Amino acid sequence: MVSVLANIGEAVVRFGRDMVGGAMFLGEVVVGSAAVVLGPRKFRGPSLVNQVELIAFNGAPIIMLISFLVGCIVAQQGIFQLQQFGATAFVVNLVGILVLRELSVLLTSIMIAGRSGSAFTAEIGSMKMREEIDALRVMGLDPIEVLVVPRILALIISLPILTFISSMAGLTGAGLVAWLYGGIGVDTFLARLQSVITWKHFAVGLIKAPFMAFVIGLIASIEGLAVKGSAESLGRQVTASVVKAIFMVIVVDGLFAIFFASIEF
Amino acid sequence: MGERDIGLEAAQRRDGGGEPAGQGGSGAIIRVRNLKVAFGEKVIMDGLDLDVMRGEILGFVGGSGQGKSVLTRTILGLVRKQRGMIEIFGEDVDRLSPPQRRRLERRIGVMFQQGALFSALTVKQNIQVPMREYLDLPPDLLDELAMVKLDLVGLPQDAADKAPSELSGGMIKRAALARALALDPEIVFLDEPTSGLDPIGAAEFDDLIVTLKETLGLTVFMVTHDLDSLYDACDRIAALADRKVIAVGPLATMLASDHPWLKAYFGGERAMARQPAGKREQSG
Repeated sequence: MVSVLANIGEAVVRFGRDMVGGAMFLGEVVVGSAAVVLGPRKFRGPSLVNQVELIAFNGAPIIMLISFLVGCIVAQQGIFQLQQFGATAFVVNLVGILVLRELSVLLTSIMIAGRSGSAFTAEIGSMKMREEIDALRVMGLDPIEVLVVPRILALIISLPILTFISSMAGLTGAGLVAWLYGGIGVDTFLARLQSVITWKHFAVGLIKAPFMAFVIGLIASIEGLAVKGSAESLGRQVTASVVKAIFMVIVVDGLFAIFFASIEF
Repeated sequence: MGERDIGLEAAQRRDGGGEPAGQGGSGAIIRVRNLKVAFGEKVIMDGLDLDVMRGEILGFVGGSGQGKSVLTRTILGLVRKQRGMIEIFGEDVDRLSPPQRRRLERRIGVMFQQGALFSALTVKQNIQVPMREYLDLPPDLLDELAMVKLDLVGLPQDAADKAPSELSGGMIKRAALARALALDPEIVFLDEPTSGLDPIGAAEFDDLIVTLKETLGLTVFMVTHDLDSLYDACDRIAALADRKVIAVGPLATMLASDHPWLKAYFGGERAMARQPAGKREQSG
């Protein structure tokens, strides 16, 4: 009993330290970004392009595939349930709003947290283990500027693109199921979609994407730099990076839902 | 004394550094006073004093976990100190503005224990990282400079385009040394340069360091475990124990010391085998 309480206490203290550490790191990243903005000579273009290719280009197929499948599943379930009320046609509203506002950005963020966030943590972590980060520091190079800023920037560029791709794939899947399973023709589906979906729904998903990118990049970098000398430590931090990033993505999405609801967007 | 005086003094010393190599010049190039470093409750060093003289190879010994690397990292500013003063080139590192700090870092080269070469870059690119950061030179000149550095540390030219993972342990050390020398530093920090090398490779590396010291007029701060290096390469030795530098001086001082750890270290069987050579150096 006492040990349970002790564990809870430790977890609370650790969470507090994480928050303080995160805030401090956020400050360093802002300073690092400012340094890059003020001295464009420090801007590492090739590194950024390389990262965008790794994140957006190589990540696109798998994100398209899962979005397509989730679009199919949601449409199928929607049609199945709505049939009982004779309201099959409303599946277009359901799928359209759900995919554009929530599903595409969530699926993309979770996939990228698992795919690219973990890679960032592992890369930065193994550099930390091999003293490469210290080598950068003693050369007068700031690891935040060199390693973290280009990666976070690449995520901020890639995630909206991927979110858009994910939306299109999700709607395609839904349209296909609506046609083959629900008997809603493609022209009907598109016409209904056009009448239901305003640019607002589309914008909500895309507005959220850069924030998700920032959260994922920040957590991945913090965890990477927290790696100590051992291989277990690297494994532990990569796991922590993915778990925390997915958790925070969902929390941020919840906050956005409240925010958009209260401004009636 | 104002900061300007210190700056002037430093400038004079820097001029002094321009003297032909080998003449060395006197005076401490690094001064550490009353240093205290602790991680949480654990005090690593307390009240530590150390001078590194210009143009010498200082070997730094100490038991495992006594904080040899920690001292190096503290001097380099990678570990925060609780108390004390560190002066490099006559300038208190705590009183430097960030640009001054960068200028200071330019004059220091560091070779880490595992080499710490950037694994994503080739050897040549590794050597060019500090050059790209500080010098504004065209690519072909950078290539040429990198080749000169490779030559300097005795690496073949075809090593230039290899990735660090393709190199042997000894080549990694040499490549790391080439990177440390990229900006023609005045001080080089070496963290266990001969660890993980076979005796022949280690002896070659010691020779290389001595040659570089003599030709380039380098000051070398070398953390080491290797008795051979201490006997063959080092001008002076500093020993760390009980959170302090317990003895500093040439090999003879170490051998004459009464401190139990030093007696064990230099009086052990492995050291005894070297004794005659050490004696010869003393008389010579």
